[in-house]
Amino acid sequence: MSVVAANDRGRPRSESEARVARAGARVRLERLTKFFGRVRAVDEVSLEIPSGSFVTLLGPSGSGKTTTLNLIAGFLAPDAGEIQFDGRAISALPPHKRNIGMVFQSYALFPHMTVFENVAYPLRMRDRLRRDAMRARVTETLALVQLSGFEARYPRQLSGGQQQRVSMARALVSGPRLLLMDEPLGALDKKLREQLQTEIKQIHRQIGSTFVYVTHDQSEALTMSDLIVVMHHGRIVQIGSPPEVYETPVNAFVADFLGGANLLSGQMVSRHGDTCDVRIANGQVIAVPRGGLAESEGAAVSIFIRPEDIRILPPEQRPHGRVGTPATIRDVVYLGEALKVTALVGDQMVSVRTLRSEVDRLAPGRDVFLAWAPQSSRLLPPADER
Amino acid sequence: MASELSLSIRSRRPAFPAAGSKARPFVLQAILLAPVLGWVTAFFLVPIGLMIWRSFAEAGLAPYVTILTSPVYLKVLITTLKICLLTTLGCLALGYPIAYVLTVARPAGRGVVLILVILPYWLDYIVRSYSWMILLGRRGLVNQLVLSLGLSERPLSLLYTLFSVSIGMIQILLPLMILTLFGAMLRIDRRLLDAAAIHGASRWRAFRTVFLPLSLPGVYAAGLLVFVSALGFYITPALLGGPEQTMISQTIMVLASDLLNWPLASAAGVLLLVVTTVLLALYNRFFSLDRMFGGVTT
Repeated sequence: MSVVAANDRGRPRSESEARVARAGARVRLERLTKFFGRVRAVDEVSLEIPSGSFVTLLGPSGSGKTTTLNLIAGFLAPDAGEIQFDGRAISALPPHKRNIGMVFQSYALFPHMTVFENVAYPLRMRDRLRRDAMRARVTETLALVQLSGFEARYPRQLSGGQQQRVSMARALVSGPRLLLMDEPLGALDKKLREQLQTEIKQIHRQIGSTFVYVTHDQSEALTMSDLIVVMHHGRIVQIGSPPEVYETPVNAFVADFLGGANLLSGQMVSRHGDTCDVRIANGQVIAVPRGGLAESEGAAVSIFIRPEDIRILPPEQRPHGRVGTPATIRDVVYLGEALKVTALVGDQMVSVRTLRSEVDRLAPGRDVFLAWAPQSSRLLPPADER
Repeated sequence: MASELSLSIRSRRPAFPAAGSKARPFVLQAILLAPVLGWVTAFFLVPIGLMIWRSFAEAGLAPYVTILTSPVYLKVLITTLKICLLTTLGCLALGYPIAYVLTVARPAGRGVVLILVILPYWLDYIVRSYSWMILLGRRGLVNQLVLSLGLSERPLSLLYTLFSVSIGMIQILLPLMILTLFGAMLRIDRRLLDAAAIHGASRWRAFRTVFLPLSLPGVYAAGLLVFVSALGFYITPALLGGPEQTMISQTIMVLASDLLNWPLASAAGVLLLVVTTVLLALYNRFFSLDRMFGGVTT
């Protein structure tokens, strides 16, 4: 058994590998709509997916992300709207003619076939290669997912992580220009998940196909994607790069879904230029950059601020250039690499991530001042308007 | 006693204590099982024992030698196996597509088809066998249709043939075939068909390369179940078959009640029992194989 070094970048590319590396598909969804009974599972979704990009559909269960993926795959027919690959409408094509690779959450490996037969399946159905060419392609693809030597095993003889690698190899083997992944790492433990995230990203860079990835895990979306599409109730709420959606969420839902945001609800008291003053529940008036929000004075708004952007100061200290509010510490939780502090501002809970070394200063019941730089906060529509 | 107590506390399952205190649950189990054990012993094990004893008691192995060497009984055995095989294949040919449709149908449609499948099951099979006599007789519906369409000059002899026996038995055993196949097919992960489709397989090729092979253990199991059930049929071949279609149950009946040859009747019964048991052992083997396949995909 010869072990092929999968990460050997210096290796000259074989002919078939070069074929795999052709440009990814450009996918366009236009006002795509799908009903389940009377529920709009996907509601007028329009999206442009650039060639070769890694796009993640992110949202809670029931947000329509998996349905959107199934529409792209062709397992479901849209009730309205259109899907285009490279400007060509494909809504009428059955799944087997769309030339897509797909990785399923449940792996969906054929239990009666060996690893080799599973990976060779798309080649057998699609490419009609000669036996030796097929063998070469399968061997090469198994090396890419670091599973050389497992050809003769059956799926049931593999661990979850190995099964997912086989599933990846099967999706990649015929060099599809579009790869769909439906929560592929959902069933794996944290450490393996992180390792496979890195590998998937690496494979994406290596082969240059367009990847559409579905997950409900925000950290997975943030680490892997070029573009994150946040979905909620069948609609797209926000499209942007990971820093964009993390740092400038358009509403309370996105802010909250991408990693525990604090939302202090209050009332706008005055506006001047790019900033405005907001009075929160405990009477404190805080300056916030206005962003794109066109609320008038007196309107209900919320202030968005990430837990890691807040500093905990002694109650009497008012740092220059920072804004904030008095608060009372409610709870301190040791997380290992950091501390998670919950503080009460009026009747609202605010969570703060702070350095481990501060543990001595912090105790439940103590009065503190929570401070942050105004530019790390943002004005959003009131929290209940989701 | 002290160690027993600590053991059961530690495991927190006093209903299943560790070794050393088996006595009490055993008594309870014995009491609970006693009625059914008594029933099975009195009305099942003892009669079978008597039958086996009677087959050997008078002439030793002679009755078995007679059955396995005499052309008459051999012919009955072969006829029985032939009819059972035909019935099984017929049920499979008719039942597989219906079970497949049931598997891929939406819940509403599935309900309707299931009712249609199960409905005849509730009708007594003597009634159903007589219905076939009305349909297939010399002046039956089928022959009237054939004659009026001018397809034949004389009425076809459909009744009292291999055909009529098989069709009657197929109709009776079809629900068993369909329900067993349906149960096995439901365990096939439907995502596998999606996986086949997205990787280039047309519906037909996805069926042939994925669904069909994964349904085979179910086919074996259902086939054996139908075959074994068919082995003991008595009424249907008696009503729909001619002398050429005499099955082993009918022969046993004649031997026991008309000829009063109890040793020979008993020996034939034992042989039927042995064949059935062997086939059921095979069924068991395939059934666990089926489970093995089904378990991987979930």
